[in-house]
Amino acid sequence: MRIPRNLEVWRLGTVNYLKALKLQEKLASDRKINKITDTLLSLQHPPTYTLGKRRTDYNLLVPESELKNMGAELHYTQRGGDITFHGPHQAILYPIISLRDIGLGARKYVENLESTMIELSSLYGVKAHGQRKCETGVWVGDRKIGAIGVRISTGITSHGLAFNIDPDLTFFKHIVPCGIADKDVTSLRRETDLVLPDDEVIQEQLVSCFARLFGYNDIIWKDKNVIEIDD
Amino acid sequence: MALRIWASSTANALRLSSATRPHFSPLSRCFSSVLDGLKYANSHEWVKHEGPVATIGITDHAQDHLGEVVFVELPEAGGTVTKATGFGAVESVKATSDVNSPISGEIVEVNSKLSQTPGLINSSPYEDGWMIKVKPSNPSELESLMGATQYTKFCEEEDAAH
Repeated sequence: MRIPRNLEVWRLGTVNYLKALKLQEKLASDRKINKITDTLLSLQHPPTYTLGKRRTDYNLLVPESELKNMGAELHYTQRGGDITFHGPHQAILYPIISLRDIGLGARKYVENLESTMIELSSLYGVKAHGQRKCETGVWVGDRKIGAIGVRISTGITSHGLAFNIDPDLTFFKHIVPCGIADKDVTSLRRETDLVLPDDEVIQEQLVSCFARLFGYNDIIWKDKNVIEIDD
Repeated sequence: MALRIWASSTANALRLSSATRPHFSPLSRCFSSVLDGLKYANSHEWVKHEGPVATIGITDHAQDHLGEVVFVELPEAGGTVTKATGFGAVESVKATSDVNSPISGEIVEVNSKLSQTPGLINSSPYEDGWMIKVKPSNPSELESLMGATQYTKFCEEEDAAH
């Protein structure tokens, strides 16, 4: 009989990128020693550009000083993937889970993250697909609606996915998003005719898609103020 | 490349011996190949101990579960590695995965070909895709690693459980 698996979901609201990163590092090390169960952070970021381990900063098209004038931050990270933008009205999920416990490798894990966003899109009548020409991410036609960048350390995941509900897409003009020059970025707002509910509703739906795809039996929802968690 | 990996894995599954690998016999019942004569960590790295030097890389099972490797981060020669601790990382499908050393020791050589051709890890995980060479500081650590038969069983159990 399969042991039932629980997912603890932290609803964090809008969180500064570095604070979220610090939190993920703590949770990942707790998860590694089995101090906590699989945990999922559901949040948004203020305007932030991030780079992955390959440090592809040639894909940033404006000087860093100009980003500050726009009210955006820039961060270098250890995740996979190229340059991207995070901002208000973009749903972010950071799963801190043990891949070894569920027997998934990187490739299957990332496919499941794509499926999570594809399923969410379909709730709004949007036909999205993943792995376009082996390019990780989620697309509607030629337009990218969801991005993925993940870190796996001793089988524990951090970073995750970013799904465009209705972010300000002009921020993407200052980068070559994910290193792909000739394709557009899009959002759920642009792709569906349906009236969208509040972000919180969509984020909850995204979490439910994740939990279902990854086979969790129970979701434990926690509303957290990040300031409370700072040790 | 996918066709080549499929072909080599199928050849191993069918127990076809390879003329280019005279010292090691394939020993696999599953899709990924496992080589006799190597030692294996449960984080899917292999060690080949020859005299004073041990060569380290990731297994066929590991590269198959990662997908196409596009970037490899390696340490410098002269540094040290510690058993069960990360020494580098590989990136595939927008995921960076840490690679752990199965043993402790001093790094004597690093595979510089991997910066230009990271895909060697997929196409030749046990040979051209080797990652670092180490002078073991504690050779008894090799004893606690898995042999080929044990590692094959470990992979089968890991894949079957879910």
